[in-house]
Amino acid sequence: MLSHTRSQQDREHGDKIFWRLAATLGVIVTTYFALVPYFGLNIAFHFYMMMWITMATAFNISSGFSGYMPFGYVAFYGIGAFTTAILVKKLGWSVIAAVPMAGVAGVILSLLFAPTLRLSGIYFAIVSLALAAICRLIITNLPEEWTGGSFGLQLGSRAEPLNAFFLMMGVMLLAIASVLWMSRSRLGKALKAVRDDPEAASMMGVNIGWIRLKGWMLAAFFPALCGGVEAWYTNVVDTETAFNTLVTTKTVIYAVAGGLGTVTGPIVGAIAMSWIDELVWRRFPLVNLLILGVAVMALVLFLPRGIVGSVLRARPRWRRFIP
Amino acid sequence: MTALMINGLVNGIIVGGLYALLGLSLSLLYGVLRVVNFAHGELVIAGSYVAYVLFSTFGLSPLAALPLAAISFFIVGWGAYFVLIPRLSKSDDPETASFLLMYGFSIAMAAVLLLIFEADSRSIDYSFDPISIPIGPVNVSTARLVALAVTAVVSAVMAWFLFRTLPGKALRAATMNREAIQIVGVNIERLSAFAFALTFGIAGVTGVLIALVFPAFGPFSGAEYSIIGFIVIVLGGLGNPMGALIAGIFYGIAEQMATVFLAQALAQIVGFGMLVVTILVRPTGLFGFRVLR
Amino acid sequence: MTALIEVTNLTKRFGGLTALDGVSLAASAGQVLGIIGVNGAGKTTLMNCICGLYVPDSGTVRIDGHDTTGRPSHEVAQRGIGRTFQIPRVFRKMSLIDNLMVPVLSWSQSDTELMSKAETILEQFKLIDLRHNFAEELSGGQQKLLEMARMLMPDPRVVMLDEPFAGVHPDLCAFMIERISDMAAQGKAVLLISHDLTSIYRLSNHLIAMNQGQVIAQGGVQDIRSNPDVIEAYLGH
Repeated sequence: MLSHTRSQQDREHGDKIFWRLAATLGVIVTTYFALVPYFGLNIAFHFYMMMWITMATAFNISSGFSGYMPFGYVAFYGIGAFTTAILVKKLGWSVIAAVPMAGVAGVILSLLFAPTLRLSGIYFAIVSLALAAICRLIITNLPEEWTGGSFGLQLGSRAEPLNAFFLMMGVMLLAIASVLWMSRSRLGKALKAVRDDPEAASMMGVNIGWIRLKGWMLAAFFPALCGGVEAWYTNVVDTETAFNTLVTTKTVIYAVAGGLGTVTGPIVGAIAMSWIDELVWRRFPLVNLLILGVAVMALVLFLPRGIVGSVLRARPRWRRFIP
Repeated sequence: MTALMINGLVNGIIVGGLYALLGLSLSLLYGVLRVVNFAHGELVIAGSYVAYVLFSTFGLSPLAALPLAAISFFIVGWGAYFVLIPRLSKSDDPETASFLLMYGFSIAMAAVLLLIFEADSRSIDYSFDPISIPIGPVNVSTARLVALAVTAVVSAVMAWFLFRTLPGKALRAATMNREAIQIVGVNIERLSAFAFALTFGIAGVTGVLIALVFPAFGPFSGAEYSIIGFIVIVLGGLGNPMGALIAGIFYGIAEQMATVFLAQALAQIVGFGMLVVTILVRPTGLFGFRVLR
Repeated sequence: MTALIEVTNLTKRFGGLTALDGVSLAASAGQVLGIIGVNGAGKTTLMNCICGLYVPDSGTVRIDGHDTTGRPSHEVAQRGIGRTFQIPRVFRKMSLIDNLMVPVLSWSQSDTELMSKAETILEQFKLIDLRHNFAEELSGGQQKLLEMARMLMPDPRVVMLDEPFAGVHPDLCAFMIERISDMAAQGKAVLLISHDLTSIYRLSNHLIAMNQGQVIAQGGVQDIRSNPDVIEAYLGH
């Protein structure tokens, strides 16, 4: 009896700490980025940092929570970018209306790719890569009136960096909030169970197909939004940049650097790696790519659980409190 | 059959042979080490660059470059094994860790090639005498036929090695059951290093042959070959080297025939599409193993 | 008394191998049905067919009156049956509490209520102090206990235990026997596979002996122990 109440108190105490930390995280992140324009800090740098935070966080839904590593993740980003560009340029939509549709396009694409969810680890990764390449090829070869051929599309004189900046912030906060909710929700637990042992989960009443699909759609929504907002920000969309494999590469690296399976992991990773990328690019513009590659290898060999993941490995008790 | 189609078929076999080599080494590495070599394409292109350097600087024919590439890549591979792989086996999720590791390696390799050779595409203007040989109604470049011959030899040697020699049988046994082979006393570390080095060696040879068969290559051409390699091993069944050989030729023919009838870009889509359809419809590949989670 | 679980003439073939050949059994509330036999007799295959992991080639499975033959495993689970495995299948990278939450994710009760219940069960299984640890950090014996705790979380009416005592320390074994007796006392139908004859004789009301996919004998403990076919096939001379 007594110990029962004690563990309940213990649980409530743990929950309180978790949500306090989560709120603190939210406040810090929001305040910092909101103040960037007012202190004259580099808007472009911070825009992309927010974008990578969002991409890495969303990737974590697929990889950390669900156990799928889509090496063709850029497909969602690209479809979002093109959806926004086509709606704005060809159909005259306002950007504010077009960007959410980018998210919808991402979800639709994820449904198209859903049959791949029954594949294991590497097969899934490889097929994902091939599917992204197919998307890119198809769009490049669509008629120029639709998708701009190899020159791409320009959104017209609608480049308003500051508006795009704040929209990106909104998307980022939505993504973080979604993952925070998910990490505590029953969907999150179901995803993890299906990740760890799908047959056993099924024998416990979890409908693994449906659960996987939900996680997958959520994971596809945010990169598509990112593509849309970035299209607004840079004002131009073309298949080279919208479907560039480097987008997936950076997303994967930033997420892994921070640590998969936690909410803070990808955020920490994206921030740290954005800074490192910026510093390296300024100092060593030529060997940038080489350093990126070596960094991935070093991460995998020496810090496989990422920054946050390694901390939690050393202090497993903290897992309850750290979002 | 029109001359175009015969051309497509012949080229399909030639190109397919190269794809078969790509698949063979990838398959072997996955089978023995459960390592998915995302950097395979970049290793192959590095082999092409070696042939390029040997030709442009020393005037060496690509045929001479073959053994040099094979041996030097083998040695590098042996060393690379001990630097990279032992740590992986201690990680939580060795398979994921291995493909992230090789992903990084592929980026680093492409970057190194970019730094050394810059972004321009290169080619080897080596002509054999005669330049082309007629096969039926079409003229096929001698360089390509030579490449086919070398491919056939290498494949035959590999097949003989895998099925008739003791180390080869050990490799195949390791593919089937890693634990069991250690119990019967095989030094798995050395066997694994050997498999790794062998992959590198075959990659080097494949690279030289690619320089002979394809018109040009650049530091980033590797990605394309990696994807083709994966398509081939999935078609042939992951971990099944002989299946990879057959699948490679099949895929090469399909790809080249597709370019006869369709535009280049569409032919590429056909290729990738085949991969996707195969996995969804017949997940074990044409001959192979379990892929579902 | 109506049977909570009723298997009729179950047959399952894998290619040329007949793993189950016309197996029938029944267990009612509060009954412990022990299943014995050599390795490869078909005991685990039987459990796999009942819980929906395999689709039987013929025969029926009825759980609590409902026909669940050939239904997918998540549907069968919802009929009120739970099981453990020979080698524990815990959700490795989830905490113990989260492990227990998995079978009840679709329940309408609040998280607080369900977590309280999970904590109560963990306490019964002496795992309460480890509730926030990841399942992979537990020892083999503790993982077996975790599996049992997780199985009981959704109050299944039928439970199936596949060799719970295998490789387990005698003290832990005694503890498990107590817990299994509790399950029967609560009115559950218990199917129990084990090679630990002492334990299975103690717990079971009824036994079936299997060999080569068939039920070669069934009856009370004494009957089975003295049955010549069973002695021949399994117990030894």
